[in-house]
Amino acid sequence: MKKIIFILTIFSLILNVSCITDETCTQTKYVKLTVGFYHVKDTLDVRTFTPFGVDSMTVQGLRIDTTTNQYHLVDSILYNNDKTKLTSINLPLDNFATQSVFRIKFNAIIDTMTIRHANLNDYLSLECGCIVTHSIDTVIVTNHYIDSVRVFIHNVNTLNAENIRLYK
Amino acid sequence: MQRIFVYISSFLLCLTISTANAQKKKQIIMPPDSTKWLNGFTVHVDLASLITSSLTNNVIYSTEGGIQMDLKHKIFPTIELGIAGANKSTSINSGFKTNGVFERIGVDFNLRKKKPDSKPTNNLFIAGIRLGMSHYNYSVTNLIIANDYWGDSQPLNFLDQSTTKIWYEIVIGVQVEVLKNFYMGWSIRKKNLITQDILGQVAPWYIPGFGQNNGSNWGFNYALGYHFWPQKKSTKNSKVLPSQQIKNQINNK
Repeated sequence: MKKIIFILTIFSLILNVSCITDETCTQTKYVKLTVGFYHVKDTLDVRTFTPFGVDSMTVQGLRIDTTTNQYHLVDSILYNNDKTKLTSINLPLDNFATQSVFRIKFNAIIDTMTIRHANLNDYLSLECGCIVTHSIDTVIVTNHYIDSVRVFIHNVNTLNAENIRLYK
Repeated sequence: MQRIFVYISSFLLCLTISTANAQKKKQIIMPPDSTKWLNGFTVHVDLASLITSSLTNNVIYSTEGGIQMDLKHKIFPTIELGIAGANKSTSINSGFKTNGVFERIGVDFNLRKKKPDSKPTNNLFIAGIRLGMSHYNYSVTNLIIANDYWGDSQPLNFLDQSTTKIWYEIVIGVQVEVLKNFYMGWSIRKKNLITQDILGQVAPWYIPGFGQNNGSNWGFNYALGYHFWPQKKSTKNSKVLPSQQIKNQINNK
């Protein structure tokens, strides 16, 4: 009986201490806006949308300089002359601004896409910290290569969902 | 036919007599319960929390004690009070700090059955329940919001957040009188949180008296206590009849 009590005591102490050991973050913190590319095909009575891959694509962020009020390219390039015929791309929205602008180069034609969004801090845990999720308000595109745009899912979070569709 | 009737009648008569005798025996064997309703109270402090604090390099710290009433040596209403806190820093350099008071009320039951011819003992095997509560402030600091692509990051601090947490505990343990009126005992507790975190709220990492904010926790207490105003054992009342004496009583009646 004494032995059992002793073992239980030690076990309980270990259990108590093991409960406060350091933990690592296991939750996903990957928040990206997903943009899909679609080809519009009009027949006499039906309009169909089919995904299409772009031959070559370069995507880069544009950041406004508040002093000069001019846009400058962000140093880092998100997609650089990608020839894998991508049918969709993932883009990071600016966590501290309500507008994110991207320059998208389709083969040799350049368009810009302006996304206006609200940001929301989302606390995960002490180990994982915070993520910022977004709610898309409006999307504006230039129409050199892109024909039109449609917001499909306004909430941008860790779930894998196609938020925006660009039509050619 | 008449013989069968006689046999059955005699058998039933014997059965009735023996049952009546057995009931008579049962009634006589049970000695009168001389235990008073209020049998003093025990004041105790928890030693396990102090050991745990030192083992965790004071990442968490806790001190607690309690008062346990003794009702008929069967029911033990209990109040426990304590202070606890945490000063935690993670691998990503975010920090959590709290310091708060907690209280628990509940009741323990002595599961040890008193045998008629056993020595009177103050050793207990207990099972009980607790309702715990803590209202406290906490701070979460240096939560980095990364903005890798766009080139900057910002730390977020949530200072002086306030919350109230309520939980219940299921307790089992033993309590032994090691010296006259001095008790030592341990208990294992299963703690379950009743109040849940609000979605989107910066939830506390630690709850004083409950432990890490996991929804459910195990706890361990090792208590040292002193029993005040114990019932005086009068030799007349507490004398336990030996088995032979009881048998004699039955025969005499």
